[in-house]
Amino acid sequence: MAAVPLIAVRDLEKTYAMDGPPVHALCGVTLAIQRGEFVAVVGPSGSGKSTLMHILGCLDRPTSGTYHLDARDVSRLSDDDLSAIRNRQIGFVFQGFNLLARTSALENVELPLLYAHRNRIAPAERRVRALRALGAVGLADRASHFPNQLSGGQQQRVAIARALLNDPAILLADEPTGNLDSRTSIEIMEIFQRLNAQRGITIVLITHEPQVAAYASRIIQIIDGRLVTDLANASHRAAAAELAGGGHG
Amino acid sequence: MAFRSSLAIAVRALGRNRLQTSLTIVGMTIGVAAVLAMIAIGTGAEAAIGDQIRAAGMNLIVVTAGNYKVKSTDDFGGGAVEPSAALGLPDPLWRRALSLVEPTLVAHPEDDPMEKHDHPTARQRLGDSEAGLGSAATLTSADADAIRRIRGVQYVAEGLHQNVHVAADAKRWFTRLHGTDLQLPLIRRAWTFPNGRFFSAREQSRAEQVVVLGAVAAERLFGGENPAGRSVSIWKQPFRVVGVVTTASWMVAPAPGDDQFDAVYIPFTTVHRLLNLTKLNDITITAASTGEVSRIMNDVTMLLRARHRITDETPDDFTVTTQARQALAKGGLRPDVARAVVGNVSGLDKVTLEQLGKTLDRATRTMTALLAGIAAVSLLVGGIGIMNIMLLSVTERTREIGVRRAVGARARDVRSQFVLEAMTLSVTGGVAGVCLGLVVASGLSRYLHWSTTISPGAVVVSVSVAAAVGIFFGWYPARQAARLDPIQSLRYE
Ligand SMILES: Nc1ncnc2c1ncn2[C@@H]1O[C@H](COP(=O)(O)OP(=O)(O)O)[C@@H](O)[C@H]1O
Ligand SMILES: [Mg+2]
Repeated sequence: MAAVPLIAVRDLEKTYAMDGPPVHALCGVTLAIQRGEFVAVVGPSGSGKSTLMHILGCLDRPTSGTYHLDARDVSRLSDDDLSAIRNRQIGFVFQGFNLLARTSALENVELPLLYAHRNRIAPAERRVRALRALGAVGLADRASHFPNQLSGGQQQRVAIARALLNDPAILLADEPTGNLDSRTSIEIMEIFQRLNAQRGITIVLITHEPQVAAYASRIIQIIDGRLVTDLANASHRAAAAELAGGGHG
Repeated sequence: MAFRSSLAIAVRALGRNRLQTSLTIVGMTIGVAAVLAMIAIGTGAEAAIGDQIRAAGMNLIVVTAGNYKVKSTDDFGGGAVEPSAALGLPDPLWRRALSLVEPTLVAHPEDDPMEKHDHPTARQRLGDSEAGLGSAATLTSADADAIRRIRGVQYVAEGLHQNVHVAADAKRWFTRLHGTDLQLPLIRRAWTFPNGRFFSAREQSRAEQVVVLGAVAAERLFGGENPAGRSVSIWKQPFRVVGVVTTASWMVAPAPGDDQFDAVYIPFTTVHRLLNLTKLNDITITAASTGEVSRIMNDVTMLLRARHRITDETPDDFTVTTQARQALAKGGLRPDVARAVVGNVSGLDKVTLEQLGKTLDRATRTMTALLAGIAAVSLLVGGIGIMNIMLLSVTERTREIGVRRAVGARARDVRSQFVLEAMTLSVTGGVAGVCLGLVVASGLSRYLHWSTTISPGAVVVSVSVAAAVGIFFGWYPARQAARLDPIQSLRYE
């Protein structure tokens, strides 16, 4: 194993105490993910998967415990610093795609570059990079389409292109196939496996479907906010081969 | 975040809710247009007053019989009038001169020449001066005709002034009588005739016994009735009323005691015929162009010196002044109003038109501020409209805000985006409001004949105020947007 993990969380706890009794969404999660891993996080609904992803994605802070991202303690960073980390090091893919309505695919993909404060990019360069990212997910010809003119799978690919735009180290996907049929799901998994293999992007895939988790090379199971199993998945499914061979029904 | 892309985001976001966006912009437009139109009206009124004051003061030349010295050196004259002691004139003479200069001071029933008095009456005294006892009554209608021929002279009106009793049926009113020329209404540009007309050239040349009543005199003698065609008696002679004169200027309110409207006008030829006179008290002249006033004053002086055979060593037997006291005293401005507006100035005769103009300017500026203040209320309403649509927008776009935060937007990026959207609304409305305001202002001038002025400064101020309204009313919704928790926003349905 490499010396410093990309993601290292220790005794992570998250308690929601809005109204009513406090909810313990995470109860002491300790976890290390190396650079270049493709990890699936599985567990029943309400087990705390999304909560974990939000903390890993610097969208949220843990109630207690530590989080080191690339050896940097992020639990005490300011909101602006966390925004910068999200912008440059993390890409999100959501179940509901979360594209901006009435905004072209290209402009949706460009979005992270608008907030790249540390290195401003000229509009022309933004376009080039957004088109390249769209090309990587096979949607170069759909650049000017609006989300409502795209299928679910296409929308999710636009979202992936957007997540990739700043060349993040980590791609966090929360139920990315939850709204898609199984064929389209395999297409998305193919993209993930390709990005992981070719670019070495670390992927954390959250899903409640075991057959989707089977594409990852490591599977972590969470139940009631606790990490119960953490297994290597050496014989993971290969999406590209499945697509080429006619695939599943 | 680059301004241009932020603006593009703002415009796109606003484009999604066309109707709401348009209505909000309309609200702003009305507010800004109202403010601009009010400023236009206010400054227009200021400018109009300035013009009137200047016009009244600057193209008017008055030649008065006799000589006196004006102490004040300012262009508008109006300083204290002093008898010309340097000329060594005998006492009764300078008093005579003064009484001619300030005829309003001589207000006594004895001036009725038809009354029996145990001392010399006005007529007798005027006769005295004509007999050579004074140099005051030096001007003649031949002088006036000669002045008419000077290049650049616009109108000329002979003037003879008396205090008289005017009687109509049972009513009597002691007032001012002006024997004058039919061109006087052209000089007094604000005059209007609610009943009848001024006397005609024919009536003047035949020295007919016709009279035009000032509004106050008409009211006193005839109440609400139309006096035109009725008969009054002056100097126990019957006179036919041909018209009533009042003013169209809002600056002037006819009131008892004023020289213009508590007065009656008859042809100077009639005064000459009935009182057997040949001289004039004064001659009022207007220059066609204000720039020529000095030249015409000079020409008049030269002309009259020649006509009166005055050598270089002897002083003039007449006085040429511009504007000043005559214009003010005869301007019909209520003395109490004039005194009120100039506050601590003790004597009305010391108030120059300059001072009066400044005071009126101040008053109009206050009015402008008041009008603009009232209009600002509609701007406030426009601002609240912006706040409303922005709050709505924040709610509707909660998910979008979450997405932006997820891809790296800082709280302040979100805030500036919403402020920029609010400003886009307000500035668009502001620019449209400026256009509408210009249209409204020009419409007011064209169809209602209100004077309006729109300066580039007012336009700049209007647009800036609109932008400021956008920032002010967009701030709170933008802060709400920036404070949203990214996760809550992403989960928001
Ligand atoms: N904002 C919140 N306020 C209160 N409870 C929450 C909040 N977010 C999540 N939870 C609770 O925390 C637990 C874990 O939720 P989540 O991480 O979304 O689960 P999963 O993604 O595995 O379905 C659930 O019981 C959920 O109800
Ligand atoms: Mg979840």
